[in-house]
Amino acid sequence: MAGGGGGGDGEPEFQVAPMIDVLLVLLIFFMSITSSQVLKVDKNIALPVAAHGVKRDDKAAAGLINISWDKTTGQAKYKLDDRELDPNDKDGIAKELAARKGTNEKYRLLIRADKDCHAKYISKALEWGGEAGIDNIAFSGLNREE
Amino acid sequence: MKQAPQEAPSDAGFQIAPMIDVVFVIMLFFMVMAGAVKVEHELKTTLPGNAETAKETEIPDEITIGVAESGQITINEDPVGTPQDKTLDGLFNEMTKLKQAAIQSKTKLLITVQAEEAARYERVINVLDVLARADINNVTFAVAEPE
Repeated sequence: MAGGGGGGDGEPEFQVAPMIDVLLVLLIFFMSITSSQVLKVDKNIALPVAAHGVKRDDKAAAGLINISWDKTTGQAKYKLDDRELDPNDKDGIAKELAARKGTNEKYRLLIRADKDCHAKYISKALEWGGEAGIDNIAFSGLNREE
Repeated sequence: MKQAPQEAPSDAGFQIAPMIDVVFVIMLFFMVMAGAVKVEHELKTTLPGNAETAKETEIPDEITIGVAESGQITINEDPVGTPQDKTLDGLFNEMTKLKQAAIQSKTKLLITVQAEEAARYERVINVLDVLARADINNVTFAVAEPE
């Protein structure tokens, strides 16, 4: 066949078309593994280890509450996704969570708290979930020690 | 000194060999880093008082695991292990026994984790992790009111 002879001494030329093919396949791969819902996590929180938990399901609808811990004041700070919450506005938070939940019975509350945080602050977040009618609670932890 | 005559720049074509070298180095880097990746896991619980009234009520074997401020774990107020014990093997053994007993007697095992207000979240997660390890799913979490 004309032009099909291989084994020549010349340098193999770079083909743009197959590279674009490969790049498109990679793009589709990354698009498929990326969740449609991106949870806004607080990277400053030192999570405890929960090696036997299940891998976090980012595709299932969840309200994410980040609870950071200030060691100097011994107080917790709450964030719903990346928005800071006023812990005294119990009704407002519950209303927002209820609106997010809607009619989705599988909607869950995902708690990401600092390992030094006291249980009473976790309880407060659970109360908001309870007020909003969310009884599926999941606690976040890391698969291994930091 | 006599300078060597400079050659005219030839057309620098794309070199496949160095690209493969670089790709292999990147691949090795990702392979090594894959082992150190930290993934977030989750431990599922429910809120207490979530009773399904439509179904016939079964009386479950209810166990309360207490988490004290000091880190001491108790099963129905009996201490298990030490406050420093992170693996909580004693609790795991007890939970495995209870799970087996519940399977044999065909009853539902319901665990309530009750933490003191000032108990650390890490300790609560240690307990929930042990329950996940023992494959116990009916877990509720509550914080004890101060007396």
